[in-house]
This record gives sequence, structure tokens and C-alpha cells, in this order.
Amino acid sequence: MSTTDAAERLLNLVIALMNTPGRMTKDQIRAGVVGYDDASDESFERKFERDKDTLRELGVPVVTVDDSGHAAEIGYRIDTDAYALAPLHLTAAELAVLGLAAQLWQDRVLRTDTGRALTKLTAASGTGVHTDALAALAPRVREAGGAYGPLLEAILARRAVRFAYRAATTGQRAQRHVEPWRLAVRGGGWYLIGHDLDRAAVRAFRLSRIDGAPRPVGPPGAVTIPVEVDVDSALGRPHADARRAVLAVVPERAQALRARGVEPDPCPPLPSALAGREVIAVEFEDLARAVDEIAAYGDVVAVLEPADLRAAVIAVLQAAAALGEERHDG
Amino acid sequence: MAERASERLVRLLGLVTYLDSVGGAVPVEQIARDFGVPAEQVLRDIDLLWVSGTPGYWPDNLLDFAIDDEAGTVSVVQTQRIERPLRLGTREAVSLIAALRAMGEAIDVAAPELADVVRAVLEKLTDAAGEASGALDVRLAVDTRPEVAHAVGEALATRRRLRLRYVTASDVVSERTVDPMRLRTEDERSYLVAWCLRADDERTFRLDRILEAVVLEDASAEHAASARPYRPAATAEPVRVTFASPARWIAEQVPHDGVQEHDDGAFTLTLRVENHAWLRQLLLANAVHVRSVSPAALRADLVEAAASALRQYED
Repeated sequence: MSTTDAAERLLNLVIALMNTPGRMTKDQIRAGVVGYDDASDESFERKFERDKDTLRELGVPVVTVDDSGHAAEIGYRIDTDAYALAPLHLTAAELAVLGLAAQLWQDRVLRTDTGRALTKLTAASGTGVHTDALAALAPRVREAGGAYGPLLEAILARRAVRFAYRAATTGQRAQRHVEPWRLAVRGGGWYLIGHDLDRAAVRAFRLSRIDGAPRPVGPPGAVTIPVEVDVDSALGRPHADARRAVLAVVPERAQALRARGVEPDPCPPLPSALAGREVIAVEFEDLARAVDEIAAYGDVVAVLEPADLRAAVIAVLQAAAALGEERHDG
Repeated sequence: MAERASERLVRLLGLVTYLDSVGGAVPVEQIARDFGVPAEQVLRDIDLLWVSGTPGYWPDNLLDFAIDDEAGTVSVVQTQRIERPLRLGTREAVSLIAALRAMGEAIDVAAPELADVVRAVLEKLTDAAGEASGALDVRLAVDTRPEVAHAVGEALATRRRLRLRYVTASDVVSERTVDPMRLRTEDERSYLVAWCLRADDERTFRLDRILEAVVLEDASAEHAASARPYRPAATAEPVRVTFASPARWIAEQVPHDGVQEHDDGAFTLTLRVENHAWLRQLLLANAVHVRSVSPAALRADLVEAAASALRQYED
């Protein structure tokens, strides 16, 4: 079946259901609407069901009218009031900002969704979306992967999902059963935040570690999503108060760290191994990130305080120094 | 790839709405520009619309258009009640709202005059999407000091030259004069893409490594953006690193030439790296999860760097 046939059939179905005075029964649709007349019973049912789903996905409110109780009398129409976009009165500047926002996504599914939205807004406002004036901005979010579509559908339908997940710590693949709440992007990764039903706790799942497509389970509407979902806490990045690290830095080096430096007070005494160093203080919120950054500077930066940061950096450096030896602990 | 029927249907309905809302004859070229498709596609769409209508499909049942071949314009004559603008699907609204929210901070930096516009659009869309509007939550990283962000934003907005003090991944500081081109805000980091006058080429500067930015009086010149993506030279010696499973994110985020999986979740990455300072930093920071590194010279370099760093902590 060609795309033209499908688009033509869908278009004529919309026009028919928009103009019907009351409703159209399946028989009337099959006999009257272009593209349905040549089908067998079975293939008509399949085609019509699929078309109804497609239209609803696009925002067309196809409603079922069943007031007689007879199966043959069940009819369909489009709710013309619900069909219409609420008047948004978008200005050219607002449309341009939307066009820019649409460029954010690298993901094909997300680009399709935003593309449709822009087509509708272009139509409604009678003008195109032109972003030339905003060339100085280039926001980008990487691809979400195949799990995005099914997970978003499940969140919108308030259904639980099952999926195979490769745990970060062990590499083992296991089935998870989750009430999905939010999809989130943080620090270079796509995540699902939800209630893990087997573990009875809020968990975050990285989309790239989900194997295959998540399957919805249970009835629609069964999941209650909390009004406030703290994505950062679920990801183990609580809004911690900033702490202060005191560092001994080789003069003239580690400029990126120095740029964030604040005055240390009072200046602690330097051990003899670090004579000649400059002492700076920087604020950090996430211990693991601070360890990564400081360890990467090697012998240019030493931690004086606090003790937990100092110990964590030393542990990382000891692991690196032991790389010459055979290791199987991982 | 052929266009999907859904995409075409949205445009077919949209064309009727658009022609009705503009009113009168509209140049086909303008329609094509506004919908982002070739003019031939607009004409094919009109052809299909022209034979569509309500059951019966008698002339009075059909959509009708007036085409002026000489002027190259189209107007709609009979809309068969599909001229009303179609509402946004929930997924469509969700993706736009998330993108707008994510951009808020970058807009504040590079185009603060648009902040009110973003807020206004968000309000309108959020009303339209209802409770689903929070399903997707994206935060971009604009990790820079306010004074740097301010200078970069001002230079972009007023098209003026910038003097930067910049520190590279190898911890080398340099001064450069650049013509700013755009602010690239990503989910992990943000970058200033600019034309470096010294290199006479496009360069990308990580925002958090700009130590100082001064807006100069000189206007910035126009430069053709170079579209070539960064590729390490093929001559760079391949490096093979085996990581334990918890370092999986490295395989997902660092450009590499291949990944080989092992039974226990560990994996071996093949990398081509020109910038050894960067690689050494990556491996030092993740040493706990590194199982092996080849070639041997690189491993020795890493071990020596770690040993030297540990001497800082000897009493």
C-alpha cells in the first residue's frame, strides 16, 4: 500500500467524520469513504482500527457514539470542538523560538513529534517558522534511542512497563517492572525515573541500557504519578549544599580550577612535600565529579581538605598506579 | 525514505487551514518555504486535496481551490469544514515544552531579550498540554561563570569580536581573538563556536574553560561555518582500553572505533586519540574501573603520572 493511498484515505475519513450530522457506522464508512470499499471484512477491520489509532495519535478526537446498544449501530464522529487548537496567537518571534526549540532534538522520534507540531502551528498562524534571527543559538540533545517512544506512551497512558535492563554495576541483564513517571536528560544521558515495583522504591534507569522495546502491562490509568518528581534526587544528584575544597596547586597551572577559585580562609599550613604551592579553594557539590576532575590533574593539584575528598582522590591514584600489575577485581 | 502517511496528512490538513487563515491567493513558493517542503510537493498535495471530500464525491462534496498558473498562486475556495486548526497531540506538545524549558538558560545567556518570549510561549503551550506537560524533563548544561556568559552573550547579540583567555585540556593557557558564531548548548557541556583569527579557522571553546572574555569594539566578520565534524587523524595510533562494567558510560559518550564485549560486562574500547593529555585525564579519573591499557608505553605513562601524583601526599 502506498503512502499516497494511506494519506488519501485518512484525509477523506477526517473530512467525512467532520461533516457527518450525527455519526457514521462502520458500514457507512466502508461503503462511502474512499479507500475502504475494496477491502475484505477482515482487512477492513484492521485498516479502520489502525487508521483510528493514527488519527488519535495525531490529535484528531475520533469519538465512538453508542447510544442504542446494538453493535451495528455503533458509530463514529470527530468532536469538532475538541478538534480545534485553542487560539494561541503566536507572534513571529514566538514561532521562531519554537523553531529553535525543535532543533534541540537529535532523536528521530522526537523530531517527528516536534515537526508535526510546527506544521500545525504554521497552518494555524498562516506563517512559516523562520529561525534565521536566532542563528547564534544551537542547542543539542543527543538521541534517546528506541525505548523513548514506548516509555513516553506508557507515561501518558499511566501504564506500568516491563523491560530488560543491563545493570551498571554487574553488567547482568534482568527483567524490571516499573511504573514510569518521567523521562529526563541530565549530564549527557537519557533516563527513566519511576517506581520499581519489585524493589518497591524510586529508581532511575538509563535508556541506553534498556534492551529492546519496553512493553506496557496492566490497564491504562493504573499508575498514579506524583505531582512533584525530584529527578535529581532519583539520579543520586541531590541538591547538596556546596562544600569547599582546599587545594595546593603548582603555580601557573590548573587555570580552569583557579578560574572558579575563592579565597581560602584561613590558609592551612603546607606540608613539606608541597612547599612552593599556591593554595586555592573551590566549591563543589558532587564528590564523585570533584574526584574525577582533581585526579585528572595528576601531580599538579593536591587536596588538603576535606578528608573524604582527599582519601577518594588518593584511592583513584592508587588504582592508576597499580595498573602495571595484573588485576581481576574490576 | 518516503514520507510517512501521518506526516503528509498533518500537512494536507494544515495547507487548508493555512490558505484559509492567510486568505486570498498565496504564492506556491511562499507556501513551500513556510512548510519547509519543495514547491512540487505543495502542488502534489493540492492535487490530492482537490479530489478529496465527503462521501458521494460529487463536485459539491469536494475541496476546491483556485490556481493561477501565471502568477504561481493558490487560494482555497471550498474547505469542507477542515479549515479549523488541528490541536497539538500530547506527544507533540510534550516535546516542544521540554525543548523550550531546556533552552531557557541558554536563551538567558545568548539572547536575554527572548526570555519573555520563551516564557509566553511556554505558558500558552502548557495550558494546551495540561498535566502531561511535565512528562519529559531536560536540563542543558550552561556551566560557566556569569561574567563569561554575559560577555559571550553580548558579543553574539551585538556581533562584536571577543578576546578570550582560554585553557586547553592540556592545561595550557592562551589568549585569542575570535569572531563568535554561535553558542552550542548540549546536555553535558556548552561550547562557544567561533572563528579564531590566529588559526584562521573555526574553533570550539568549552565555556567552562574560558577564563576571561572581553567584548572588543571591533565588529566581528562573517565566516562560512565549516561543517566538517571532528575526526581524529587516521594516523593516530589505536589505543585499547578494557574497562569494568560500571564505566559503561564511557562507551556511550566517548567517540571510539569499536567496542568488544566480555562475558562479565567488561568491555574493550578501541580509541584513536591525538590528544594524549585528554586520554590520560580520562583514564586517571576512571582508573578504578580500568583493567588494562595498551600500548605498554601509554600504560607506563599513566602509572608514572599516578605515582608522581601520589608523592604529593607523602609526609
